[in-house]
Amino acid sequence: MKRRDFVKAMMAASASVSARTVLGQQAPPAQAPPVAPVSTALPAVAPAPVPWMEGLMQMKPLPLSPLSPDTVAETNAHFFSDRQLAALRRLSEIFMPPYQGHPGAAEAGTAEFLDFLIGVSPADRQKMYQTGLDRLDTEAAEHFGVSFAAVNAEQADQLLRPWLRTWMSDHPPTEPYADFINIAHSDIRAATVNSQAWSDAARVAGKEAPNTDLYWYPVDPDLRRNASQCVTPGRRPS
Amino acid sequence: MADEKVDVLIIGSGHSGGMAAKVLTEKGISCLMLNAGPVADIHRDTEVRPAYSLPFRGFKPPGQIPHVFQADEFDTNTWVDEKEVPYTYAPQNPYNWVRVRLFGGRSLFWSRASFRLSDYEFKAKSHDGYGDDWPISLADLDPYYSRVEAIFRVRGQANGLPQFPDGNFVADTSPFPGCIQRLSGVAKPRNIPVCKQRTSLGVNGLASSVNLLLPDAFATGKLRAIPNVVVRELSVDRNTGLVNGAHFVDRLSRREMSVKARVVVLAAGTLESTRLLLNSRLADSSGVMGHYLIDQIYGAGIVCSVPEARDGKATKELMGGSAILPRFRNIDTKARNFIRGYAVNVWSSRGDMDPRSFAAYGAELQKKMESYHGSGLSTNIMGEVLARYENHVRIDSEVVDAWGIPALRVETKYTDNEFNMARDSVDTAIELAEAAGFEVLAKNYEPNPPGYSIHELGTCRMGNDPKTSVLNKWSRSHDIKNLVVVDGSSFVSGGWQNPTMTIVALAMRASEHLADEMRQGNV
Repeated sequence: MKRRDFVKAMMAASASVSARTVLGQQAPPAQAPPVAPVSTALPAVAPAPVPWMEGLMQMKPLPLSPLSPDTVAETNAHFFSDRQLAALRRLSEIFMPPYQGHPGAAEAGTAEFLDFLIGVSPADRQKMYQTGLDRLDTEAAEHFGVSFAAVNAEQADQLLRPWLRTWMSDHPPTEPYADFINIAHSDIRAATVNSQAWSDAARVAGKEAPNTDLYWYPVDPDLRRNASQCVTPGRRPS
Repeated sequence: MADEKVDVLIIGSGHSGGMAAKVLTEKGISCLMLNAGPVADIHRDTEVRPAYSLPFRGFKPPGQIPHVFQADEFDTNTWVDEKEVPYTYAPQNPYNWVRVRLFGGRSLFWSRASFRLSDYEFKAKSHDGYGDDWPISLADLDPYYSRVEAIFRVRGQANGLPQFPDGNFVADTSPFPGCIQRLSGVAKPRNIPVCKQRTSLGVNGLASSVNLLLPDAFATGKLRAIPNVVVRELSVDRNTGLVNGAHFVDRLSRREMSVKARVVVLAAGTLESTRLLLNSRLADSSGVMGHYLIDQIYGAGIVCSVPEARDGKATKELMGGSAILPRFRNIDTKARNFIRGYAVNVWSSRGDMDPRSFAAYGAELQKKMESYHGSGLSTNIMGEVLARYENHVRIDSEVVDAWGIPALRVETKYTDNEFNMARDSVDTAIELAEAAGFEVLAKNYEPNPPGYSIHELGTCRMGNDPKTSVLNKWSRSHDIKNLVVVDGSSFVSGGWQNPTMTIVALAMRASEHLADEMRQGNV
């Protein structure tokens, strides 16, 4: 059962309980005394205009299939500098061009998504990206007299290939620049393959969307879960 | 106001707590189980979704669980949030503490690998002189292993190897696929055994406390359980020195509460049980509580390709399946630069290759991925970490969790014995792969940070001498006779084996002994 359907079912179930026990809308047994009017059962507070939840349980679900924002909107990039973002866009195009009917990184909004992701990531991740993108620009200028955003495919290959490594998960290269090149490659690939554009293309080709899996919502989340924001109510061990 | 005293308070609901509850309630003893997290309901709490519809497009949400390398965005919310329950370490010695607080704990998600320890572990010091022997041997635990294996329905094959004790198996008679047979062919002349994996089948695909152990306990009518309560500390009767209950915090409201009990069974997982005892300042007359933290080396291994399986030729007969190369070093011969040993996990896949296995990008990488599809075979080490006094945990007085409970500080690191072992495992895997005609695409000598294996053990070690151990051979505190610790913290050495079967067998043994002692009025 989909989560939404489940929630609906639960709402309906609890509604039938509350309807019987609280609102008294269920037809009472013939011998039972008349049910007291709703108003007398309510606490002595200002009444709502109508009972707040009335009618929701009987509502027919909307024919709504939620639209992912990527369908119609673009991510506003604001973390990287213009120059860094231009280098990241070019790097993304080089590493992940369109291939056999599948979108490339540009069509998948990969650079803009990574601007968002890295922007909310820990400082060492941010620094690795910023330093790496700056170095791409520096090397492009040194070798070809242009920014990395303006290198052609052959020039890009000369700058990137020496740094490509094979590696196993959790163990990226240890040299900082190779670390950046290979992690950025991996991130660009994942952000592109996981994009809605890629899924749409897969569907058109009659294949299943990749990376579709069981997603766990927060289970009974503690809304004050950040320890740093915690106010200790109790005593500390003596 | 409740003025009730329960017979046994069990803290934790995973495999060890579940086994304690099953044994004790089936012997007529009333138990109350406390669990720090909520009860998960997969129908309510999950939905099948594409990665693009998730908040971070499938990337792990930054900062929430940076030390859970195993996680992705789909399952992020099943792990303990590191902002909610922080722990600390020195920056140069990171530690991955991988935790689940859902009801059932890590038993909900474990790998199902089901091995016995051998006397090369229980009597390791007698074999090579290092460390300490356990106060028990395989013969002591054998009957409990057999009963646990029956409950968990462990599928396996008898191999007759003393370092890889056989058990009470659902017989695995399936043949190895061709790629593993080839590996086996080149391993044999090198005296390296290639064996079938041993795996808990469980029931309906699940081998968890919540379906194999706790239902029996609830069926007795003797078990009650409270989810979402975080135990702050154990309470003590000042006259007797015995524990008499626990103070806990309601996870959502922060209400502080107390409960009384005649006996306390700790089953919160090695480091949480240890943290609770350290925060309670209890049961540590030996001074070794928190010390001898061990786990297992993971992460070193190789990725290869079986050439005959490329370009659409990966058949079921050739590819897929897995094997284990149980410890083969320091059995009859002596390794050059390390003691103890490791096992090598081998698995092959008829699916996509990891793009990181190729130093290529763009169309070139796509073509490689297509050509190599279905030809992958990988190895990974599971290596013993030596028990050392210096590797320890203690309370960090500067940091508290979301309920104001002082956090744990982990001070541990690997040394040359572990690094040399990891190097040997990768060199050996390469030698075997090349001899078998596989192409080695990627290799990694560097172990993952300590803790990654999720096999943390040893911080309340058992022993015969109260001066050098926290627990006796029945997993009971030397200092406090109504306190029993049934999780992995009792281990003296860990070997290379996934510890679940040993933890559950020890929990069964400890709980039966506890029930006897309670019946005789000794506890």
